[in-house]
Order: sequence, then structure tokens, then C-alpha cells
Amino acid sequence: MINKIRSTLNTIVKDIDKFYDEKTYHFLTLNGVKIDEDTTEIQWIFSKYNSINEITILYCLVDQDDMIPSITDILPSATISQMEIVDMFGISVEDTKKGLYLDVDSQQMPLSSCGI
Amino acid sequence: MSKKTINIPLGSQHISLLEPVRFKFECENEKIIGVDSDVGFVHRGIEKACVTKFKYDAIPYVVARICGLCAITHSLAYTTAVENLLEGEVTLKAKYLRMLLVELDRIHSHMLCLSHVCENGGFEAMFMQIMGDREYIMDIQEQLTGNRVQFDFITIGGVNRDITNEIANNIKKNLNIVKLKVFEYIEEFSSNWSLSLKFQNIGKLTLDEAYSYNAIGPLARAAGIFTDVRSETNYLPYEDIGYEIQVGKAGDIHARNFIRLNEILNSIQMCQNIIDGLPQGDIITKLKGKPNGESIVRLEAPRGELMYYLKGEGKSILNRVRIKTPTFSCIPAFMEVFKGSNYADAPAILASFDPCLSCTAK
Repeated sequence: MINKIRSTLNTIVKDIDKFYDEKTYHFLTLNGVKIDEDTTEIQWIFSKYNSINEITILYCLVDQDDMIPSITDILPSATISQMEIVDMFGISVEDTKKGLYLDVDSQQMPLSSCGI
Repeated sequence: MSKKTINIPLGSQHISLLEPVRFKFECENEKIIGVDSDVGFVHRGIEKACVTKFKYDAIPYVVARICGLCAITHSLAYTTAVENLLEGEVTLKAKYLRMLLVELDRIHSHMLCLSHVCENGGFEAMFMQIMGDREYIMDIQEQLTGNRVQFDFITIGGVNRDITNEIANNIKKNLNIVKLKVFEYIEEFSSNWSLSLKFQNIGKLTLDEAYSYNAIGPLARAAGIFTDVRSETNYLPYEDIGYEIQVGKAGDIHARNFIRLNEILNSIQMCQNIIDGLPQGDIITKLKGKPNGESIVRLEAPRGELMYYLKGEGKSILNRVRIKTPTFSCIPAFMEVFKGSNYADAPAILASFDPCLSCTAK
């Protein structure tokens, strides 16, 4: 069962803070899905401990030049997923550096035009 | 007066590492006080390839190439996600054969990890013994699938090869041999100070840290979190074959060794139960249509939770294939464990994580 909750860039940190309890929910990853040329759906995916197939996705739609707020104050383990989004989609995430996967001479933001 | 620190790298090429990852340790004398990591040495762009180069029905064989050790969980997670999108159901026999191979994979992967723990502890002979014993599992995987690794056994709708009576008997015979060997390892790991007992309280991840850093797999269970995707999903009937969650408490290297040893025994039992109770029926069901919609599938790979997210729009090429691998999401937890440890223990701690950089840099 996938439960999707829409949020916005202005409220996503507050929404995750309200939703997330570390002993109830497990943070799976941050995901990006291209919707159209300019828009990407950014998803924060959680599963519930000790329940069957229960997945919750908080998501918001962002433009290529938007800045996604960091959630590492709530979820320290999100650091690495945020770095991956920066490299793969070329979308900026607050306090997150480039270069986790990609070298400077490789193709940059390879997933920014996939699937549309 | 401020204390002097020194930066010491571990990797990307290091005698205790088989795969390219680099941790940069900031040390105050022997103590690690800061850690940075670089995991992108072998990035292959598989997510991109899956949505540009390959049709959805070829991808099970592409994602199997992400990792030689847990190839089967990659192809199974992907095919299960596609089957969900196609609203198809595979036969019970196919599910049993899938579980058989997943658990065989877990056995040999845990044996590989334990052998490296021995090697890092200076027990070369035991490293060779466990690697030699692991061949019993590799042999039966080859008989069952046609290959030692990268077995393209799972396909959308079922599995590609059936099991014969002769192979079933060989599996049972080899599993019985390995089971006796594992009891010997347990004896050794329980009583030998240099091998495992000295690693009590070393490389410790507390329960609170495990929750905070979203630890998964053996790392989380050794710290005391009751989490295992096999008990949190219902794609495969694990409750019918004797699955039992293995949970520790101490969260150190020694505890992680024992989680893996106990999981090997449980996996052997499950494989024997699968052979004894294998249902009749077809091994493959033909599924119609093209993937449409979103699907998320989680599976318990040997190193922890593997997740596949798929999005399709009824076409042969999918819109998005997102692969979240166990080691990747554990990197922040690894870094937390290193802080406060001695640099001399870093290789042993790293081996106890059982990192897979092939998966991480998919």
C-alpha cells in the first residue's frame, strides 16, 4: 500500500518533522521522478516498521532551479540521498555538495531528461 | 592548547578492501574524530540505462549485473515490482524456487563476509576454510541456475529453470555439510579471543544510533532493532518455510558476526523446508500488458533492505527505475560507528559492515 501525501517546498520540512517518528517509520530514500521538461517530483519515501507493505511518500513538485530544503536535522541519514539527487538531477539541495557519484569530466545530471 | 589532528585515508585501494570506497578519517592520535566518504569510483549509470536503453522485460537481466553477490535479490525486486504493475500473480512453486535461491545467496554472502572478518582479524587459515566451504553453496547454485553468480534465474512471471530430483538431493546433501561447518564456526567465534571476542564493544552502533541513522539489515538487527523486510512484506511466503528473525543487542562487531552466523543456520533450515515442501505446478506464468503506474518493492538482501521504485506509463520503456541499495543507505551509519573508534580497528569494523560498493555505485 502506497500512501502519497503532497507537500510544498515551503512546508516539506515541517510536514516530515510532524510525520516522522524514528521508532515507527524507517526512511527509505529520497527519489526524483521527471514529470516534464522543467518539473521533477521529489519524493521522501518511508516504510513503517513491523507492518506489511506500508509505504508513505511525501512529495513535492519542483522546478529545475528550485532549492530543496535539507531534512538532515530530522533525518541525519538523508545526507547521502540528498547528494545523489544533486548529482543525478542537477537540482540543488540546501547544504549539500556535488560529486558523490560523478566526476567533473563525466556526463552531469544524467537523469534530468529521462522518462519524459 | 588545541590538539593536533591528522587525516588518514582508508581506500580507495586498501589491503582490507575488495572494493573501491574511500573513507577519510580525521584522527586525534589513534582516535577517529571525523569521517568523510567517497563512494563513486565505479558508478555505472544503471538507472539511466534502464530508462533509455532497455525494454522493461530485459531489465531483470540488466539489474542482475549490479552486483555479483546479491544479483538474485536485484532481479527479484525488479520483477516483483513489474508483476505488481501488470497485476499478475506467479505460482506458488515459482515463489518457493525464488526463495530458495535468495536464501542460498544469503548463505554464501554471509560466509564471504565472515571469511573477510577472519582475514582482517589475522586468521588467514579460517578465511580459506570458510571460502572453501562456501563452494558447497556455489556448486548447488550452479546446478540449479546454470551459473555460479549472475544467475539469470528469475524472470517476469516466474523462474527460468525447474529443479530436478537429483539437484534437490544435492542441495540437501551440501546444506547438511555446510550446517555442520557453521556449528564449527560458531564454536570458534564464541571461544576465540583474537577472532571475535576481542571485538566486543568495538565498532559499536547503539540502538538509538541505529534508529537515528536508519540502519538496516544485520547492522540494525545486531543493534537490537526488530526489522527484517522478510517479515514486513508479503510477496513471498516466508512464514510457511520457517523464517525466524535474528536480533542481537550489543551492536558491535562480535554481535554482527553472530547475527550472520545465526541467519546462515536459519537460511539452511528454510532451504531444506523449501525442498521438502516444494509445491507442484508451473514455474512461469505469462503476464500480459505493459507496466503502468507506480510500484515500490522492498526485499531483504544479504546486507539489508533493497528497494526498487518503478514508474511506467503503459509503454515498453519505463519512466523511472529507482534502486536503493543496502550499503548506500547505511553509509551515514557506518560513518557514525567509525567516530570514536581507534584507527587500527577501522579495517575490522569495515569488514563487519559487509559493504558492497558494486551495489552502492550502481
